[in-house]
Amino acid sequence: MKLSFNQGKVWVVNGIIKISDEKYPRLLREIDSPPEILYYKGDWDNSIFENCLAVVGSRRMTTYGKLITNKLVSEIARAGVTIVSGFMFGIDATAHKATIDAGGRTIAVMPCGIDMVHPAHQEDLYKEILEHRGLIISEFESTHPPGLWTYPKRNKIVAGISKAAMVVEAGHKSGSLITAELAKKYKRRLFAVPGPLTSVLSKGTIQLIKEGAEIVTSTEDILVEYDINIEVVRESSMQGLNELEQSIIKKLQEEPMEIDALTRLIKISTSEIATALSLTQIKGLVFEEGGKYYVD
Amino acid sequence: MLIKVCSAANSGLETIGVDVEVNLANRGLPAFEIVGLPSKAVDESRERVKTAIVNSNIEFPTKRITINLAPADLPKEGSFYDLPIAIGVLASIMNCELPEKSLFFGELSLDGTLRHTKGALLLSLFAKEKGIKSIFVPKASANEAAIIKGVRVYPVESINQLLAYLLGQIPLEPAKYREVKSEVVQAEFDMAEILGQEQAKRAMEISAAGGHNFFMVGSPGSGKTMLARALPGILPILAERESLEVTKIYSASGRIPPEGSLIKIRPFRAPHHTISQVGLIGGGSRPQPGEISLAHRGVLFLDEFNEFPRGVLESLRQPMEDGHLTISRSRERVKYPSRFILVASANPCPCGYLYHPKKSCTCTQREVEKYKKRVSGPLLDRIDLYIEVPVVDIKELSKNQQLRNSSSLEIRARVEKAREMQKNRFKEKEIYTNAEMKNAHIKKYCFLSKEVKQLLLQAGMAFQLSARSYFKMIKVARTIADLEDSDGIRVSHMAEALQYRPRDQIRDK
Repeated sequence: MKLSFNQGKVWVVNGIIKISDEKYPRLLREIDSPPEILYYKGDWDNSIFENCLAVVGSRRMTTYGKLITNKLVSEIARAGVTIVSGFMFGIDATAHKATIDAGGRTIAVMPCGIDMVHPAHQEDLYKEILEHRGLIISEFESTHPPGLWTYPKRNKIVAGISKAAMVVEAGHKSGSLITAELAKKYKRRLFAVPGPLTSVLSKGTIQLIKEGAEIVTSTEDILVEYDINIEVVRESSMQGLNELEQSIIKKLQEEPMEIDALTRLIKISTSEIATALSLTQIKGLVFEEGGKYYVD
Repeated sequence: MLIKVCSAANSGLETIGVDVEVNLANRGLPAFEIVGLPSKAVDESRERVKTAIVNSNIEFPTKRITINLAPADLPKEGSFYDLPIAIGVLASIMNCELPEKSLFFGELSLDGTLRHTKGALLLSLFAKEKGIKSIFVPKASANEAAIIKGVRVYPVESINQLLAYLLGQIPLEPAKYREVKSEVVQAEFDMAEILGQEQAKRAMEISAAGGHNFFMVGSPGSGKTMLARALPGILPILAERESLEVTKIYSASGRIPPEGSLIKIRPFRAPHHTISQVGLIGGGSRPQPGEISLAHRGVLFLDEFNEFPRGVLESLRQPMEDGHLTISRSRERVKYPSRFILVASANPCPCGYLYHPKKSCTCTQREVEKYKKRVSGPLLDRIDLYIEVPVVDIKELSKNQQLRNSSSLEIRARVEKAREMQKNRFKEKEIYTNAEMKNAHIKKYCFLSKEVKQLLLQAGMAFQLSARSYFKMIKVARTIADLEDSDGIRVSHMAEALQYRPRDQIRDK
């Protein structure tokens, strides 16, 4: 347990939102016995609550779990969806980090007092969430320690704030399954990511799918819930591109080709083409295999 | 009567003085013995010396001749003791004085002429070091010895000639001093001659500028070998100090041709994958430099990298790390330098045609996976740049008119400017190029702005970069920045560097 830092920045001053406030998150109001008071750190901007997706999963995350969380969350976050999670190490922390790296916003709901960082070793992530227009929220004041019953209460908020919940990886007794149950109870859409049958950590998610959760096979499955057209997202990522990058993408849409061919076609130095290709690859717009570049 | 003739023996690149003591005794049966642990070749000197003297129309003395090569407990190898022995014997019977502070060295032919003998340059360096004023070497070896200022190098054609000089009968001019000067040398393969391959050529420019090792993957016929051969031509010209180092190694291993002198172009070595470990890194009972030392200050090209035995490749690791190879034997320890740029190439799969536009690949999925796995490990760790070399379609080339091809000379000029920046950067440390930077250097010299760090992070996710790759990317980005004369590493530099990122075991993505 660790006391959170004091640096003279605006968001270190705790904020309080009461259920009677106008600013109280609308979706959270609708659950049974919503928390009366929410303590928070960060800039409270209600737009952050408009499109929330809870992303939860096992703290015993596998390599697959990390990979798929990064892959899915980065595109979902980039599309403008707020990612909500519980700040636990494993899938939660990965989801928070992926959102920040993709330039999106994330909300971390703590199972302890608002002035504590738990788990303590993730202090850097805590700072980054706040530095990147995110929010830290807790039902508990000051230095209230985490305990057996604070976690379920936190999970209620995670599920309650969100329009939908996605479970990435879960063993059959995982805490994230509780959040999944809550999502179902609150009539939020529930998604689960399939994992390898050989993995213990897929047992929970596969069971959820069997019981009726929606299977996630791509970000489209989720974004449809938020009425976000993936093409539009990709197209708008195109807006952020400079002339060269757009030119490259147009050429690749016609025909996949090698970097040298692009260099000759566009008549720009291979160095500039290489730079542009890297940037578009990182944005997830261009892919490469066997020396050939292509767009989806 | 005892005459002492000074000579020297080379052990690796080190030289020690050897005194050739010649004693002609009147008592006892005529004999001709060499003592002082001579090897067979040295012992056979007796036959060569005797025959050479007789063939020079000089009567061979019928005395008891004893030659002692001192120090007596150092094993003597080589054929160069012929001259000191012969001249010692002749000086003895002719009662002539040998010049003070002189070294004698050279192999004799049976007709009395001197043959080109390896190691003359080392002798010259030794003489300079010990304050020895003159050396007498075979004429064909004189040019290489003459690059050392302050040493008079007498080119000897035959023992008759030498004797006549020593007796004051004829003059003997020392070889003209050849100043060690860097000069611009034309490349063997000019980059302008290589069609297409824009990315590969750019990668080579980066490699040359920062000293980065690189790996090429491509089908047979994609031009990997030609590209590798063009690399020495864009490396900066050898500095004097480097030229001397290379010439020493080549002199010691007998690779300087007769009349040859200073080596001015960077070496290019391309050993076949059936080479033994000793052949590659050096060794043998009388330790000889291996390909890595023959590639010193130049390029070592390992074509068909997958085919090299693991153990052989593994043995490269330490010398690449240290920049030299030490070979220990029970009697001596020899050190050969080995700083080179490693260029490795491989096919994408066993049949070679995995990504070929026209030919189809005949390998099974398993075979391809297995093949890619063979290229792995700590050696790949030393390689900073990876490129896929496509097969160039000549027709396609003429369809889209090429950008103007830079010549090797133009590229070299850019490379030298980048090297200059590195020289200033590392002026207090022991390294000379960006490629040599270790983590501590990277921390010190490669500041990354927030945007660049952000890019690296995103790239780390998108490309699944390993921690090691991160550091490689920073080094490469630093070199790209140097090529653009930029003090700071910009986002564009890092983005370009990412295109050359290691694809683990050349796996996709």
